[in-house]
Parts: sequence; structure tokens; C-alpha cells
Amino acid sequence: MMSLVSYLIISLILFIVGLVVMIARKNIIAILLGIELILNAAALNFVAYSRYVTNNLDGHVFSLFIIVIAAAESAIGLAIVIRFFQIKETIHVDEATQLRN
Amino acid sequence: MIDQLFGFLGYYIPEVICIVLMTTLLVAESSVKDEHAPRTKIHVYTQIVLGIVLISLFQNLGEKPLHIFHNAVTIDPFSTLMKIIMVVGTMGTVFLSHSSKDIYTNLKSEFSIMAVGVLIGGMLLASANNMLTFYLGLETLSILSYVMSSFKRDESTSTEAGMKYVLYGGLSAGVSLFGISHLYGVFGSIQFGEIARQVPGLEGINLAIVLVSSVLFFVGVGYKISVFPFHMWTPDVYQGAPIPVTSFFAIVPKMAGLATLVRVSFVFLSEGSPLTVSWVGLILVIAAMTMTVGNVTAIGQTSVKRMLAFSSIGHVGMMILGIVVMNESGVQAILFYGIVYMFMTLIAFYITSHLSDMYGTDSYDVFRGLVYKHPLMAIIMASVLFSLAGIPPFSGFVAKFNMFAVVIEKKHYGIAIVAAFNSVIALYYYMKLAKTMIFGQADGEEKVLGFTPLNQAVIIALFIPVLFLGVFWDSAMALAGNASLFIK
Repeated sequence: MMSLVSYLIISLILFIVGLVVMIARKNIIAILLGIELILNAAALNFVAYSRYVTNNLDGHVFSLFIIVIAAAESAIGLAIVIRFFQIKETIHVDEATQLRN
Repeated sequence: MIDQLFGFLGYYIPEVICIVLMTTLLVAESSVKDEHAPRTKIHVYTQIVLGIVLISLFQNLGEKPLHIFHNAVTIDPFSTLMKIIMVVGTMGTVFLSHSSKDIYTNLKSEFSIMAVGVLIGGMLLASANNMLTFYLGLETLSILSYVMSSFKRDESTSTEAGMKYVLYGGLSAGVSLFGISHLYGVFGSIQFGEIARQVPGLEGINLAIVLVSSVLFFVGVGYKISVFPFHMWTPDVYQGAPIPVTSFFAIVPKMAGLATLVRVSFVFLSEGSPLTVSWVGLILVIAAMTMTVGNVTAIGQTSVKRMLAFSSIGHVGMMILGIVVMNESGVQAILFYGIVYMFMTLIAFYITSHLSDMYGTDSYDVFRGLVYKHPLMAIIMASVLFSLAGIPPFSGFVAKFNMFAVVIEKKHYGIAIVAAFNSVIALYYYMKLAKTMIFGQADGEEKVLGFTPLNQAVIIALFIPVLFLGVFWDSAMALAGNASLFIK
């Protein structure tokens, strides 16, 4: 039997994994994946709260919006990464060092 | 039901016009035959329509606070005045983008499209009344900003700026969203009004969850207005992006973020809220750190654009002081500061943009002896620098003085002292640039060319408020005062 707490624990794990991926990985695609994990953790939270606690549809609607916006954001992100790759021929985040003091 | 929705649309005319403008601009751009045409007509069209938006916003200014679209959006004088600041900022930067060499010719009208899109997001954010519209506004603002910052797509610096913006922006939006999801779980609603009603009764585990989630929630807003721990992206993005984009970023997203921060603060700090101490403490610490980091780092910069970026961080630190006092005069101080800051920033970026187009760099050297090369430009730039530093005859002084007054009135002496020290630091680096312009020796006898009469007229028109509001501040202060009345 799944309960609210198990959903919350899973989403917390997703969130932390996303953060760790963003900090630890040097590949820009992997960092974008980390962002997706964080957004999905939030979406999971919304649906779980909507189902078990609040009994209204706000959470479901919110999670649909999150899915759409996440897609738009990764589309823009990937477009910029492609441009970066065409110029630098790498997608390693450590190569992005031109803008410094 | 349907009639009611259409009736509400009457209050939403400015946004609707902006959306129509954005779509028609897309069509207009696709009908341009010659890729390297200057697109003057498209820019004139954009300016005229934005002028109409401005007029309809001024008409909305007198409306009583009103929740429309099932309480999703608030139309009140506060959000309307913030929108007016944003629209004027957009008009200024669109004009700047037309003459700037930093924007490729074939992207000139795309700049207008993106700018109007960010403006729509900013308007939505400024009048958001629930978490969903807040998130939608924030993301509309952010996603188009990512594109704008990588506008010089053949240069690695601009692409790198866009990439950093995407990564930091995505992270902060995600963290903010995670906070919102827990707030939804605790309050059972995403409406700001409902949350404000429930906040005073919080206790035990719910209070703990809300404390943590509201800090997470703050990350998203704090990132948009680039306050202290989330300011890392600002100098890089501002340096990498083309100058019109930088001046746009320094005005529109910041004003939208400030507007929403004010509104959210009043949600969490309703009468008898257990969060007051921690939220005010958080903002006090963040304001102090933001000012100090921005101003101290600005000293060592060699690029004027980067210096202006750090100084804008310092100004935001100053502006969020208006939130800690939690009353109408604080909001009034923020609004007045916002108006003045918008004009000063626009002028500073105009002149930097023109010189950087001419010499191909924006280091301090291009300002050397400017007073001999183009006296008008040098005098206005020097006055704006004085105003930014907060020296009396100019409006920057009135804005800063007003902010100090409301903070001291509430007996926050510590932060007032920090702010005063920061003003001194700011004075140093602004005066360094002013000194270079006035006492520095120019390399050659050449004059600054290409600053057309239209450019001069616009810059003088923008300069008049900076001068005028420094002496006759009553009308603007009354405007800001009326706009701050929505808060009880």
C-alpha cells in the first residue's frame, strides 16, 4: 500500500539526485538531465499532495504545466548547447571559462 | 460565466495588446525579403504599439485592486506602475537595439519579439496572484531571456553566457518549484490569498515545512533579481550578452522579480505571522550581503559593462531594503527607486553602447577625455553617474534618501549603516569613471561620430526625469504612494 510518505521520500530522493548530478557531472547534457529530475520531483510532489491531502485539482493542473514548461526549457537549453558545441567542439562545462574576472 | 470572463478581459488589455504585437512581429519579420534590411518600419511599429500599451496602463492606474480570471491575476495600481516601468524600459532598449551594432542586422526584429515576450512574462509575474501564474510568468521571463543572452550567436562569449544562464536558471526554477510543491501540500491551495489567511495559524511540523519551503521558494525570485547567493550568473551573462540585451536585463526582469518579491513578502507576513522574524531576518542579511558584494566587486572591474552589472546588483540590494519595513512607505520607496533606477540605467547603457560600437571595446579607456570629444554625452553620463552614486541635485539622491528614511523610521540602524558604507564605496567607482571622462587626456583629436540628433533627443528626454525628479519629486512620489496603497 503506497502512502503519501513514500511518494514524498521518492520525490526527495529524485530532488537530491538531481542536485548531485548538477554539481558532480561536467557534461552539459547530464546537467540538463539533472534539471529535469528536479522538475519531476516537484511534479510528483504536486500529484501526491493532490491525491492524498488537498483533494482538489490544483496539483494535477500544476504538474501538467510543469511538464510543458520543462519541455520548452530543455528545447531552448539544447539549442544553446548545440551552438556551444559548434563553436567550442566540446560540451564539457569546464571549457566555459571565457567570462571571468 | 463567459460574459464575466470577457468583462475581465477589459482589465487585461495591455497584456493582450502585447501578445498581439508579438505575433504580428513574427509575421512581419517573416515577410522581410532582404536579410540585411535595417527593419526601421518594424521598430517604429513596435514603438507605437508599446506606446498604446503605455496609455492603456495609465488608464488602468486608477482602478481599484481587482482579482480577475478566477483569482489568478491581480490588477492593482502597484502591479500597473511596475508594468509601466517595464514597458518604458522595453521601449528604451528596443530603440537602443535599432542603432546598436551589437545586435546582428538580421536579428533586429527578433530582438523586439523576444523583448516583448519577456515583457509579457514580466507583466504576468508582476500581477501574479497564485503560484501557477507566478511560475508561468517566471518561466516565460526566463526561457526567452536565455535566448536573448545568446543573441550574438557567432561569438563564444555570448553562447557561453546563454549556457550559464540556462543552467543556473533551470536549477533555481526547479528548486523554487520544489518549495512551491510543499507549500501546496501544507496549505492545500496555490492561491496567495488563501495562503495569507492560513499562515498565522501555522504550528508544529507544518511551520517547519513552510519555513524550509519558503526559503526554497525564495531561490527562484532571488535568482531573477540576482541577490547575493544567486548573483553568480549576473556579471558573466551581462558581459557576454550584447549591450541592448544587458540593459534590458538590468531593468525588466529585475523589476518583475521585485514586484513579485514584494507581493509574496506580504503574503507570508500577514498579521501575526510566525514567519515574520525569519523572513525579515533573511531579507536583511541578503540585502546587506548583496549591496556589499555588488559594490566591492564593482571596484576592480575594467569593463564598464561589467561594472554596471555589479552596480545593478548593489542597487537591487538597496531596493529590497524597502521590503524589510513591511509597510506602505517601504513599497513607495521601492517604486520611486525603481522609476529612477530605470532612467539612470537606460542612459548609462545608451552611452556605453554607443562608445563600445565606435571603439569595439567597453573598457574605461574609451571614456578617456570624453568631455573633449562629445561634451553633451560626457555631461549627461557624468550627471547620471552622480545620480547613481546618490549625490544631491539628482533624483538618485532622493531615491536613496527616501529608502534610508523608511529604514531608519523602523529602527533598522544596522542595515542603514551598511547601506551608508556601500554608498561611499559606490561613490568611489562611479567617480573613477567620471574622472576618466572629465580629467583624462584623450588619445587623439577625433570627435565621437554617429550620435545622431534622434539619439541626442532620446537621451535628453530620458535625462529630464533624472534631473527633474531630483528637485520636484512630489508628483512621482505621490504616484508611487497611490500605487502602494493596495497593501493592508
